[in-house]
Amino acid sequence: MTETNHERWSEDVAAYLLGALEPDEAAALERHAAGCERCQADIRWMTPAVDALPESVARLEPPRELRERVLAEVRFDAEPEAVFKDDPAATGIFGRASNWLRELGSGPMGLRPVVGFAAAVLVVAAVAGFAIGGGIGSDSGQTSTVVTGTPPGVTAKVISSDSGGTLHLANVKQIPDNRVLEAWVQRDGEVEPVEALFVPDRKGQASTELPDMDGVELVMVTTEPKGGSKSPTSSPLVTIAVPQ
Amino acid sequence: MTVRREKAERLADEELMPLIGEKDPEAFEVFYDRHGGVAYSLAYRIVGEKAAAEDVTQEAFISIWKSGARFDRARGSVRSWMLSIVRNRAIDALRSRAGKAPKLSFDDDAILEQRPAEELTDDEAMRRETASELRGALGELPGEQSKVIELAYFGGFSQSEISRMLGVPLGTVKGRMRLGLEKIRGELAEGLA
Repeated sequence: MTETNHERWSEDVAAYLLGALEPDEAAALERHAAGCERCQADIRWMTPAVDALPESVARLEPPRELRERVLAEVRFDAEPEAVFKDDPAATGIFGRASNWLRELGSGPMGLRPVVGFAAAVLVVAAVAGFAIGGGIGSDSGQTSTVVTGTPPGVTAKVISSDSGGTLHLANVKQIPDNRVLEAWVQRDGEVEPVEALFVPDRKGQASTELPDMDGVELVMVTTEPKGGSKSPTSSPLVTIAVPQ
Repeated sequence: MTVRREKAERLADEELMPLIGEKDPEAFEVFYDRHGGVAYSLAYRIVGEKAAAEDVTQEAFISIWKSGARFDRARGSVRSWMLSIVRNRAIDALRSRAGKAPKLSFDDDAILEQRPAEELTDDEAMRRETASELRGALGELPGEQSKVIELAYFGGFSQSEISRMLGVPLGTVKGRMRLGLEKIRGELAEGLA
């Protein structure tokens, strides 16, 4: 490698390390550096300076809820059946939920997660509480509350009674104008649509009625094209297991 | 505290990663507790909003959980690898938010929220001391050098974009980046001496 070549590429090493080269420029520099010891030495010398940049940021204390969400997702992914090991009834439900979601991700519907990293949509342990029988906010109904992983932060609550149920969502990000929220229920392992489409308000809250909760094991919500779909075409925003 | 958690706490990051690759949630919990703070702080520094910073941090840690086995120790420390994942996701989030300019200032001591000193581990206390020194070093860089570094690293702009934004030749941007990084590197070397 000639000195001229090195000087030409050496000018770009700092930008490369700072992530300020276009992808093709970065690839070209990497190809050059693979055979240029001086460029390799430059990269080795300056890398600690770039590594130090994030360390220079003023420290904020992350919210406790963030830790709980991350770890709940991880624990469920590692061992879904163990999440509710102290609640045999819930264990069965979540085990089925897990299986259903796995099938959803790889099955004939060919669904892909909305967010690329979330290869598996997860039902997460009820971090905020899992109350059944005369539950939260309802004198006569049952309330299930879950936090789920796609996208992070969405919370859902189902209040069920003999005559049906109500689904409340919070922290839902705005969805495109040409899409709506659609609710689904699973009974005996079969997924069926709920005859109601809805959209979040400006505060990210959304609600819909669930007319028939008899035998419902899971309630799910997906985003669908306007007018709704006959079967889910995207990964669930939330999945709520309903205690039997 | 469980025995497994206690054992995991005694392991170095590089020793935790194979356990995370084997889907050990206790190892991951220790990993999160070690690095969650700096990850969230970096994400907030880049995206400038707490909710977005939470999203970025969660996405980054879940991606590490899913790809822990792919960490290559030959390419640097676990912490640097993790922070590069956070940085890339934060820049992606920033770019996807049309019309919102990145937060661009090193003067963010005002939002510093520190835990009581007695709760800090020795490592974390040392990192915070180093962070404080680094902020000083960055603050002492000539403005034109710190600006191009900030625009590139925390703003996600390419050198060509920075050249156009600042109205200076591309070669000048390259030179300022290099000089700035060399000065920071020099400060680090002095700190180690």
